[in-house]
Amino acid sequence: MPLAEGASAPVTSQSSSTTSSAAGATSDSNAQSSTRQPPPETKESIWVRRLVVLSFWLVVLLLGLPVWWKTTAIYRAELPLQDMTDWADDKVCKPVFPLRVAVEASLPLQDAHNLLRTTQHAIDDLNEFSAHHLRLILAESHNSANASQEVVSDGTRVTTDDEDIALAVRLIPVETGTTPRAHLQPYAPTLDVYYTPNQIPTPSSTGSPLASFIAQELHKIFEEEQALLSYLLSTTSTAYSGKTKPKTKTLSAEKTAEIERQFTRALKYASTYHLTFSLFSPTATPSGWEIESVLKHYVSPLLESFSAISNFTVDTQVQLYAEFSPSIHRPEHDESLNAWTLRKEDLSGFINAAEWPLSPSIGTGPTVNFVLYVPGQDQSPLLIKENGGNSWLIPQWGGVVILNPPLQDEGKQASTILTEDALAPAMHAFSNQLLSLLGLPQTPESLPLKLSTLKRVRLASLFFSASSTMGALARLTNALPSIPIPDAVAQSIDSTTKHLQEACNHLHEGRFQGALEHARIAEAEAEKAFFERSMVGQVYFPDEHKVAVYLPLLGPVAVPLLMAGLKEIKSLLKRS
Amino acid sequence: MLPFLVLLLFNALLAYATDYEERLLLRPLPRSALLASFQFRSNESSTSFEQQNFRYFPRSLGQILQHAHTKELHLRFSVGRWDAESWGQRQWNGAREGGTGVELWAWIEADDEEQAFSRWLTLTNTLSGLFCASLNFIDATKTIRPVMTFSPEGDHPNPSKLHLLHGTLPHEVVCTENLTPFLKLLPCKGKAGVSSLLDGHKLFDASWQTMSIDVRPVCEENGDCSLEMEQSVDMVLDIDRSKRPRDNPIPRPLPIEDIECDTSKYYNGHDTCFPLDKQADPAWTLTEVFGRPLRGACPLTDTEGPNSHTVCINTPPERTVNANTTGQYEEHRYASDTMRCYKLPTGSDIDLELPEQQMTTGLVLGTPPLYAARAINGHGQERGSVQAVIRNPSTSTAVDFVYLEALPWFMKPYLHTLRAQVTGSSENPIKETYYRPAVDRRRGTHIELKLTIPAGATLTITYDFDKAILRYTEYPPDANRGFDVAPAVIRVLNPQSSDRRGAYLRTTSLLLPLPTPDFSMPYNVIILTSTVMALGFGNIFNLLVRRFVGADEVPSIGGGLIGILKAKVQRIRGRFSR
Repeated sequence: MPLAEGASAPVTSQSSSTTSSAAGATSDSNAQSSTRQPPPETKESIWVRRLVVLSFWLVVLLLGLPVWWKTTAIYRAELPLQDMTDWADDKVCKPVFPLRVAVEASLPLQDAHNLLRTTQHAIDDLNEFSAHHLRLILAESHNSANASQEVVSDGTRVTTDDEDIALAVRLIPVETGTTPRAHLQPYAPTLDVYYTPNQIPTPSSTGSPLASFIAQELHKIFEEEQALLSYLLSTTSTAYSGKTKPKTKTLSAEKTAEIERQFTRALKYASTYHLTFSLFSPTATPSGWEIESVLKHYVSPLLESFSAISNFTVDTQVQLYAEFSPSIHRPEHDESLNAWTLRKEDLSGFINAAEWPLSPSIGTGPTVNFVLYVPGQDQSPLLIKENGGNSWLIPQWGGVVILNPPLQDEGKQASTILTEDALAPAMHAFSNQLLSLLGLPQTPESLPLKLSTLKRVRLASLFFSASSTMGALARLTNALPSIPIPDAVAQSIDSTTKHLQEACNHLHEGRFQGALEHARIAEAEAEKAFFERSMVGQVYFPDEHKVAVYLPLLGPVAVPLLMAGLKEIKSLLKRS
Repeated sequence: MLPFLVLLLFNALLAYATDYEERLLLRPLPRSALLASFQFRSNESSTSFEQQNFRYFPRSLGQILQHAHTKELHLRFSVGRWDAESWGQRQWNGAREGGTGVELWAWIEADDEEQAFSRWLTLTNTLSGLFCASLNFIDATKTIRPVMTFSPEGDHPNPSKLHLLHGTLPHEVVCTENLTPFLKLLPCKGKAGVSSLLDGHKLFDASWQTMSIDVRPVCEENGDCSLEMEQSVDMVLDIDRSKRPRDNPIPRPLPIEDIECDTSKYYNGHDTCFPLDKQADPAWTLTEVFGRPLRGACPLTDTEGPNSHTVCINTPPERTVNANTTGQYEEHRYASDTMRCYKLPTGSDIDLELPEQQMTTGLVLGTPPLYAARAINGHGQERGSVQAVIRNPSTSTAVDFVYLEALPWFMKPYLHTLRAQVTGSSENPIKETYYRPAVDRRRGTHIELKLTIPAGATLTITYDFDKAILRYTEYPPDANRGFDVAPAVIRVLNPQSSDRRGAYLRTTSLLLPLPTPDFSMPYNVIILTSTVMALGFGNIFNLLVRRFVGADEVPSIGGGLIGILKAKVQRIRGRFSR
């Protein structure tokens, strides 16, 4: 018996009016006589067929689809997306910078408290930046150092060597000179205030010249820090910009531009910086320098003071026959200066990146390059045309100093080794360049204070960077549903939030060193999560490829299944 | 004996340790070939190296060595084959040579093998960036740990923690991009001194060339240690080929008038000629051969003493050599006048000129300790065999040597077929065998044999191997060329070489053709299996859901598109005819 097509043949032949290929006018009876009708299908066989189709569909839907879904699904670890967004929007923690200023005064306790109260009032009146405020606390003066143990217990007096004390104010009574006057110690976080005893406010008075003087001085000292922090807050944090604008200190346009310049110059924060000092010379001399002793005397002390913020590695090299970049104008001889001059616009192209081996050091962290260029005798002295200077800074990269060798007499051989004395001016220039590259503020005139300001600015930028990275990761996760998220990312995010919370707690208590440590870890973890390598692999696997693989198999299988299902449903609807 | 003395003396001259020295040896070879051997050596005291104060040692390489904890490094880039039959003894006894492609071996300080391997990967990856070479492709399958072939050249305070790893890339094409970073490592950077002669076009046009970098720690007896870096470029130039001007580089035959013809040939005529070998030594100058002038001395080298004589030319004493320069130079003669050395002027160019000259005496070239050749035998895509033929030219002394073979995993040797046979002797020449079998896709085969070859005898090593079938992603894009098998390394153990470098020679690399599949196969497979599955599914499904009726019970209008169309046409006709 030949296999004949017509799964629903009986159904169609019964319902349709069209019949044989004979002329359309022929009657139904005529047509039926030419072909025999197949016997009507039994109910059982119809139901068997329906069950078969149904079971195929059930297998596909209940077994096939889940298996396919399971095997092709991308693993996405649970991320606390809402928390991450909240952190990025600063809804969880608003960073505040309560600075503790210890006041040392050899005054009766009552008077001292009184002075403190009035000064605090004056400071609060001056302060227009709520996130950053100064809190005065009374420290026991050196005169009463013996009694320190008993007084600490009440919490109002602390010793001045506590490292969370931002600044110590020492009140020194004097008889001569203009009073009150202040002196900031350059190598200690101490402000000496000289006053005459009659300037101490009486308990009844609400203001006094001494109190407002101290407040003014303190405000002046922390002005730049406030500006830096408020700049950071307004640019990197969304919560402080826009609707909550009045909370930040309003900065003048010039000030903002100045701070922006400082920030663009400075290198991004890293826990390790590699410093490379290179001596370049277009000729064969000088071929050596006394770099070991120079580093010991000029660089190591500076780096030591930064050790709380970052680590440093130092390497040096000597490169001879190093011509500067051929793309810039040759130096021109200036008769009036009796010197060779470089044009200012050429300074950016001075570094010959193709020829000079200034590759970054191996290891994590950015490399800061310091280039000492000693021009040849025929182009010496070499200066910058516009201002006659000999050094410049390349933002976020390093610094260049041109060291003009002392003019030699004819016939006398130029010395091949640069001595420490000859290198001293260049090393001073490098030190200054390093300070601005690290983002050290210009004021106040006290190095420890500058460093602690830098610490807080770095802390704030790390904090914001970590939280905004988390926000970015949350957005990325929502925007690209096809990227996998491994467990490592979730762990990193957990650790980031934990450390950010810790940092936040430390901040509120004014412990900046601890906060910096935590913010540093949080930032590193957030970066690790964001740049997880296995997340990007699937992004480049487009849907077209999947279709190309599935279609040859699924097409021939799906079409009969679909058609049979449709036919059965149709017949079912007709019957009922 | 004369040349041997010369070599000894030359080596003795190099023994002085100053912070930087460089040297160029030129030796005309038969058939108008010229050996040029450049050597640059710089020292850095180990304290300043550890403090990363680099003066003569390049910072980039120094940091890599520190980062990968590498104590001794040997890196080779080579092209071509040293023709030992006509060129004689190898320069530096072959100790500064590598196999075709890139060869790297290093002693790495590590606590265990795993750590050593991870540091080795760091080293290869960073060196790959520094030298613009595919060194990062040296992975576990291309890395071996030789046991007898290499020994450290430097003085290591703590040898028990050192691990020797060795990797080769025989497929690597060495070219100009590897020379540029090589020159950048030199203090004078190719702007002065003998390195100013190095030009990529001429170097890689040579019949044979090898570039090497060797870093080793050297300790004095008083405990002062320093790190010594030796860079060398050895090449054999064809003088006629090198003298071709750059604007007309295509080789063209000389006009027939300029060729000396062998008139005894019967076909000799006005347009046919069999050229005779020129009897006279060809004329050449440094500028012609190297394509650029020698720009005086590098000022960092010694200005006094034998180390200041940086350019030496090794010719018979009767050969005329003229030095053309505007500056001051000195000529010194060593080794019964066969070695002429020049102290270069500082700051002005110098050129050496050798006119064409009919020579009565020749330079006796040293005989190499061994000659070696290796080839793949057999046919077909399934198996083959390797045959290495090693000949001892000496008439008096037997030679002990180590034969190292590092095979890729897809070439599977059968150790039981390994045979070593010496002509005229039934004694087994294999003294020791070290064998580490391959693991598919994880590591290659490593065979080291210690052998003895009697005087004047020829040794033949053979073994059979199977060719593996690779996965289709494992084939390189140029699959038809076949796969390169690294050269075998032969270390001559006696006569004992005078220095710690040892004496080596290497065979050429082998080209191994593997069965190559049709690379459109995966898609064909997908399509074919899908079709088969769809056919099977469709049949079974139809059997289950269709009803079977008698052939005469089927309505004569077929189903499908045609049936539907026909029915439609009939319905419309019926409507019109009404």
